[in-house]
Amino acid sequence: MATNNELIRVVDVVKEYNKGEVKALNGCSLTVNRGEVVAIVGSSGSGKSTMLRCLNMLEVPTSGHIYFDGVDLADKNVDINLHRRKMGMVFQHFNLFPHKTVMQNIMLAPVHLKLKTKAEARAKGEELLKRIGLLEKANEYPNMLSGGQKQRIAIVRALAMEPEVMLFDEPTSALDPEMVNEVLDLMRDLAKAGMTMVVVTHEMGFAREVADRVIFMDGGQILESNTPEKLFDHPQNPRLKDFLSKVL
Amino acid sequence: MWWSNLFKNLSPASFFNFSFLPKYGSYFWKGIAYTLLLAVVSVLLAIIPALLLAMMRLSKNKVVKGLSGAYIAVFRSTPLLVQLSIIYFGLFGAVSIPRITVLGFVDISRFIPGVVALALNSSAYVAEIFRGGILAVDIGQTEASRSLGLNAWSTMRLVVLPQAIKNVLPALANEIITMVKESSICSMLGMVELMFAAKTVASTTYISLGPYVVAAVIYFCINYPASKGIEAIERRMRRGDKQ
Ligand SMILES: Nc1ncnc2c1ncn2[C@@H]1O[C@H](COP(=O)(O)OP(=O)(O)OP(=O)(O)O)[C@@H](O)[C@H]1O
Ligand SMILES: [Mg+2]
Repeated sequence: MATNNELIRVVDVVKEYNKGEVKALNGCSLTVNRGEVVAIVGSSGSGKSTMLRCLNMLEVPTSGHIYFDGVDLADKNVDINLHRRKMGMVFQHFNLFPHKTVMQNIMLAPVHLKLKTKAEARAKGEELLKRIGLLEKANEYPNMLSGGQKQRIAIVRALAMEPEVMLFDEPTSALDPEMVNEVLDLMRDLAKAGMTMVVVTHEMGFAREVADRVIFMDGGQILESNTPEKLFDHPQNPRLKDFLSKVL
Repeated sequence: MWWSNLFKNLSPASFFNFSFLPKYGSYFWKGIAYTLLLAVVSVLLAIIPALLLAMMRLSKNKVVKGLSGAYIAVFRSTPLLVQLSIIYFGLFGAVSIPRITVLGFVDISRFIPGVVALALNSSAYVAEIFRGGILAVDIGQTEASRSLGLNAWSTMRLVVLPQAIKNVLPALANEIITMVKESSICSMLGMVELMFAAKTVASTTYISLGPYVVAAVIYFCINYPASKGIEAIERRMRRGDKQ
């Protein structure tokens, strides 16, 4: 069943909090292929963030397996740091490092992890900043930037590691409405360029337009997984129908 | 009147008798220098062990966490004078330090045990300051750093600590002020700091009150403006953060 095309495979992942009182994930399985854009939708508390954060082990699953490039990240003997380099993550609240300039934010990991020399990292940073039209902000500190600029730089910081997959957790939810599009545009460009992406989002329009597959989560389970057309236009699960009637 | 006898040793004359000052002023100057040296050096020495204690305290390992917690509890729950005496007579009774005088008035055979004892005490308090500072850094900073592939230690060193330290600088400066006051206890062990100077002058001149009043005034003139200054800097830092 495993093909070369497969990048991430999640098998029966359960995530419990408070000694099992809260079951944030209740047996989730999914596969993400290279170049695929997967959107995760669902109501608040359905486990979307937990799912995404399990992919790079920011949350350690209570049971189950997460295969990335064929390696089980849930295995305790695996050095997770080596694999996280290949998985970029973008957060709702940007999480730029406030004590570092934009360029330092971008260069920190590649240089510290000796993946690039300072000169190479700077060149890569400049190329990426130029691409998003923020090269002139290279030496500014994050608190001088707008929310949209911060989030685009957070994306660029992750891209500077040349990851194999980008994970987004509601990247536009903390933004003023007028700044949402600049971030979505950048994500759209990334998708077009063939980046593998997993995106937790409330932007149904974006999911429909950009995603190859949309996953609907509810109560810690994946209830439906389909192309955007089928999932949005012909929902099967009653919970999904209910959810769509509220958000569309 | 019966009560007039009560105050016979506390006449205004004795309170305001500063006739010793011209002759013994240099004692106080040296005392000030010694006190400041004790306070600053002990807090600076406390920084590294305090960081270690703070990180141990935040560790997931119960033993490591417990060790640090025990250290902090012991030093915070026993009097400084007792700690000082145990370390001075116990620890440094065993190892002997040569009697070398540096800077003209600091006898290191007394200074080193004193400053080590103060530093060990201070590290318990500074550890709690650091722990608070580390916890005050948004967890998202750690997550962002870890998601880029940095390990826990690199994340602490490059991302969390720089932000934490900026937050705790005022508290650290306040700890120096506390140490300026607390170090007066070192006079009991013959360290020639400010309190010791006052004691020496009092016993040499038989003026029992004036020297201590002078010491009090000096302590106040160091600590009050310093703490006001720290407050002002803190306010400005907070305003800077809001932008
Ligand atoms: N650290 C935690 N401790 C306890 N419970 C948690 C923790 N993190 C998440 N949960 C619970 O797990 C469930 C799933 O949370 P999760 O954050 O994954 O939801 P979500 O789908 O991302 O929601 P939202 O749209 O609000 O971000 C929720 O019930 C939440 O309260
Ligand atoms: Mg969420």
